[in-house]
Amino acid sequence: MTRKTAALPLVFALLLALALAGCSRSRDALTIYSGRAQNLVGPLLERFNQDTGIAIDVKYGDSAELALLIDEEGDRSPADVFFSQSPGATGFLAGKARLAQLDGRLLDKVDQRFRNRDGRWVGVSGRQRVLVYNTELVQQRELPDSVLDLTDARWAGKVAIAPANGSFQDFVTAMRQLEGDGATAAWLQAMARNRPRTYANNNAIVEAVGRGEVPVGLVNHYYNYRFLKENPGTPSRNHAFAGADAGALVIPATVSVLAGSDKSEQAARFVEFLLSPEAQRYFSDETFEYPLASGVPAAAGLPPLDTLRSPPSDLDQLGGGLQRTIELIRSSGFDGV
Amino acid sequence: MASTASEPLPLAGADAARPAPRWLLAASALAALLFATPLAYLVVHGLAEGGGLTATWASSRTLVPLARSLGLGAAVAAAAALLGTTLAWLVVRTDLPGRRTAGLLLPLPLVMPSFIAAFALLAAFAPGGLLARLLVPLGVERLPTVDGFWGAFYVLTLFTYPYVYLPVAARLGQLPAALEESARLLGRGPAGAFRSVVLPQTAGAVWAGALLVFLYTISDFGAVQLLRFHTLTSSIYAARVFDRATALAQSLLLGALAVAVVAVERSVAGRRPARLAHGSRPLRIALGRWKAPAAILVAGVLALALLAPVGVLAFWALRGTLAGSTRAAALVADAGSLAVPALNTAAMAALAAVLAVVAVLPVAYLTARHRSRLAAGANAVIVGGFALPGLVVALALTFWTLQAPGPVGVLYQTQALLVFAYVVHFGSQALRAGQVAVAAIPGRLEDAARTLGAGRLRRLLTVELPLALPGLLAGAGLVLLSTMKELPATLLLAPPGFETLATKIWNATEDAFLADASLAALLLLLLSGVLTWLLVVRRGDAPE
Repeated sequence: MTRKTAALPLVFALLLALALAGCSRSRDALTIYSGRAQNLVGPLLERFNQDTGIAIDVKYGDSAELALLIDEEGDRSPADVFFSQSPGATGFLAGKARLAQLDGRLLDKVDQRFRNRDGRWVGVSGRQRVLVYNTELVQQRELPDSVLDLTDARWAGKVAIAPANGSFQDFVTAMRQLEGDGATAAWLQAMARNRPRTYANNNAIVEAVGRGEVPVGLVNHYYNYRFLKENPGTPSRNHAFAGADAGALVIPATVSVLAGSDKSEQAARFVEFLLSPEAQRYFSDETFEYPLASGVPAAAGLPPLDTLRSPPSDLDQLGGGLQRTIELIRSSGFDGV
Repeated sequence: MASTASEPLPLAGADAARPAPRWLLAASALAALLFATPLAYLVVHGLAEGGGLTATWASSRTLVPLARSLGLGAAVAAAAALLGTTLAWLVVRTDLPGRRTAGLLLPLPLVMPSFIAAFALLAAFAPGGLLARLLVPLGVERLPTVDGFWGAFYVLTLFTYPYVYLPVAARLGQLPAALEESARLLGRGPAGAFRSVVLPQTAGAVWAGALLVFLYTISDFGAVQLLRFHTLTSSIYAARVFDRATALAQSLLLGALAVAVVAVERSVAGRRPARLAHGSRPLRIALGRWKAPAAILVAGVLALALLAPVGVLAFWALRGTLAGSTRAAALVADAGSLAVPALNTAAMAALAAVLAVVAVLPVAYLTARHRSRLAAGANAVIVGGFALPGLVVALALTFWTLQAPGPVGVLYQTQALLVFAYVVHFGSQALRAGQVAVAAIPGRLEDAARTLGAGRLRRLLTVELPLALPGLLAGAGLVLLSTMKELPATLLLAPPGFETLATKIWNATEDAFLADASLAALLLLLLSGVLTWLLVVRRGDAPE
């Protein structure tokens, strides 16, 4: 064996030691499973640690997959808190009785439209459903006031949607409650006949609209702000449907405490932190989202929250009714759902 | 220059008549047991979720996307086999200009995580994308849309041919020059020599690589989702939370399919003559007037598979860095924060690569040297682990770790379990390469060593392993590159706070922090280039 061959196991052992040393995991830390990505909320979570001195361990991932993981972990889940991008994923865990009841004091900070009736979760920040459009391909005055009008023949082949994406499905659930299953199914079928272009997710739609591959797309409002930050020259803008339209739904990101958590006190302090003016301003300023706790105004340029269609009657149906929503979307002829 | 090629070689079958030693059987059985954990999870849960397994399988909701998966898998495997073999031959056996650089760069497309690479390729080639804007002055109005079957075919072929390239290049590096020289002396042209000598000698490696490409393609989710081609994995993804019975049944079908394909492949492979020759010096064929076209082919592949996505990523990264960021923890403002994730990535990948080779070596040995039912079974479950989505592997290991009695539970969400997940998920890559490598050891050598009284272990260490090393390293290289970009299992199984470059890329991509995502992706590419050179290219060259 040559010298350089002998060096390899040494390098290997060094790597191993470094990897193991790089992660000293504290058993006392509050474990947060975050479906909101690190680039979005990482700095905020660090601020919680600095403000309160409570150590945190954060696992970032897709909200739906983290919910699956928590369910698979069962009683032995290390998670204390579930911070979810999607009410659907939270509803899944609530339905499995994995979520603890939150303190009424915390729940009361948020308008009852954006919190769970049984106190299993509370909304933290809101994202509005909008129609993103390419200013070089369509004029704003041509855009419809209602999402229902997108079935019109003049939009044939021109609308981008993400039928397998959680927020599109949340919006369809809201529409079912507003318009009824029959009308929603009819709309979905008419949309499918109108040859929409289907995409993987919100990012892919905003990117495609920015390039001009498709003139308009149904997305959450804040993605376009992100793309404009990356490239201010992008010719894509948001168009809000009229306030009461199902297409203008506001979807909350939610936070919950796990039923099996043995750190419920620290977990409650985390929830309280997310609803504090400091954290709520972070969402408004840094992520362009609607603060949902009372007292903090939305970012400049956004319509006021109370003029918008909030999830009607009972947002919980967004979770519990999701399987039915997915069946409706699938049976309407959308592929890959 | 000793060549054993001119005489018939009593090869892989040398031990076939003898029963396999007990330690080999035991080690193989243990490996099979560990590798079977994801499939076993699917069986347990699939049955628990109540009947309807067969009903789900027979429904058009399963059959239509299944047909798409199979069609895409077969097409991509065939194209990648052709491309990977051609490229490997050009780099290893010809006087291709710049072949050392090409040898370093050609494996790299494998490390591009498909969710960002496909996104970048779309931004490059789709209508209104970067390339289209460059071409506008030339009068090109609109580029064709990259999507659907052909979009997925194109992108996946470009990102998976290294599965063929690496093992075939390793095999070609060992082929003795004498074989081709005699063929040439007998009046065959380069093409004739290639057909009659090179192809038969590399067939095993080509098959092994093509099988991996097929399995990767049917299990891929990121690329087909972005390119809007709805395969069985799209269906599993859509059903994963709210229709788990369907997702489990379809995942089980994917795993069963992989096992079946492996069985067919083995029976085909079993009929192939296993006459593999060895020599110390590979022949370099002068390409002559084919030099320019060959160079153009290699450059073209590198331009499409590497330069285009890297160009887009570099453009995004540069744009973001120039614009700066006031955001806390922005990578464009503090690229140094990628150091720990990079180190973690390298360490996990290197560990997984070495351990995967060690774990599958007994099975590789058993399948290549002995006829055994256990070998066939172990082979099937190891390969099956690759066809399952990473999400399924992660949930399965979560289930088994937390259900296991005693202290096994403390392993949950540790680096140890994460590495184990990588080994289970990607072990098949080391296995296929390992089987080719072990089959290439001339049995006569081993017989000679035995006659001379060398003990089993000594024969293994001094005779067999050194000969199998290039092939084993190629397998380790595949595991290494696959592990570095692995995302779904890493997100779920890594200890909280343990970051890799892939999770960094995902965290940035999720909310369109394109510049941050690009920086991390470029670093991932650079790191894999360095590791490929250290572990595969440089060591693979050593015998020269």
